[in-house]
Amino acid sequence: MKKDEYFSEEQLNAFVDGELDPEERSQLYNESAQLAELDLRLCQLRKAKELVRYGYEDVPQPSRGARTKIGRRGYFSTALVATFLLVFGLSVGFLARNYMVEGQADKYFDTAAHPAATTSNYLLHVASGEPAQMLAALQEARHLLESAPAGELRQVEVVANERGLDLLRADVTPFATEITALQASNVVFYACSRTMERLEEKGVEVQLVPNTNSAHTALDRVVTRMKDDWEYIKI
Amino acid sequence: MASNSFLGFTQRRAFKKLVSNSRGRLYRMAFAWTHDPHLADDLVQQTLYKALRNQRQLKDIGAAEAWLFRILSNCLKDYHRVKREVLSPEELVIVDQKTPEHESGEQQLVNNVRNAVRKLPLAQCQVITLVDLEGFTYATVAETLEIPVGTVMSRLCRGRRALREFLADVWVEPQSGRTATLKRVK
Repeated sequence: MKKDEYFSEEQLNAFVDGELDPEERSQLYNESAQLAELDLRLCQLRKAKELVRYGYEDVPQPSRGARTKIGRRGYFSTALVATFLLVFGLSVGFLARNYMVEGQADKYFDTAAHPAATTSNYLLHVASGEPAQMLAALQEARHLLESAPAGELRQVEVVANERGLDLLRADVTPFATEITALQASNVVFYACSRTMERLEEKGVEVQLVPNTNSAHTALDRVVTRMKDDWEYIKI
Repeated sequence: MASNSFLGFTQRRAFKKLVSNSRGRLYRMAFAWTHDPHLADDLVQQTLYKALRNQRQLKDIGAAEAWLFRILSNCLKDYHRVKREVLSPEELVIVDQKTPEHESGEQQLVNNVRNAVRKLPLAQCQVITLVDLEGFTYATVAETLEIPVGTVMSRLCRGRRALREFLADVWVEPQSGRTATLKRVK
């Protein structure tokens, strides 16, 4: 056995990956300084490692559609507007304090009837092309809106993908009227762009019900809303 | 939501931040495993969705990274199980839609490396990329892929050996065994 073969290939890999204990590492350092063959083997392993890193140094992600466009600047401007409104509101409140006598507050603010507003928001996900499932989603959206306790600011979104996209296709859906009515009640509908792309690749022209938004993918929307602590309901 | 989580409120916030910040790294890994941008994106979405849905299962925020990559690996397994297919190099070249004539030298090297990694069996590819791209320890890779550390080591050996063969064209060996040049590389 040649002297450089005292070290197994596993050991040499562990060396370049920093997995050897200090004693073994020191021994290998010393030996590699003496043995050109061993040094060469280590070099080859390091090169393989470096090449893999190089090959995937820059992997651009697919565009994330509208969500990316919001970006930091979007949040910054939103924060700026919110701050302005807060300062404005406080100023108006301060200036108007003399116009409201004690006891009149209840006349203007029925605190008993409208307890502190809470948020309980729902995202419904439709992936089935069965009309019964689509109808169930719309009924559930309506039920969620109507069952919100007084004072609760409830938001409901419906996201459709795969066969469920038919729900939002203007020329296919049997529920255009119901969707329009729900939109008027502030239910927001999202269509999966990925599903639309796939249909268009097959030559199917996709036209959505008016006022339908598009999400990069349905799951993208689900993940975003789950991060916002929304309740997720798969129909 | 998730009021009975094993993670406290602060940790859950930290977890959500980690999930958001990990998207790019998960995507790079998914791409290295599949070499299909759309599939990689889908896998990352599924991973994030599952991670958020099952965050109650996570007891230690320190283990969250490995846990995310384990979910990604399981999503890929599920994909292959459902599709019952393994992406062939021929299919994947079409996805790239690039020809060597249009590539710069740097891009060509990148493509050569990716083609070489693509030819590896998925098991070797996963070990190599987790170690080389994410810098995971062998123990973390073992935990992520749910395999023994010994298996991690042997897959890594075989994978790197195979890479060297696949990259023979760009693999310029030194002319003599002992040269000062090699030592400068270190």
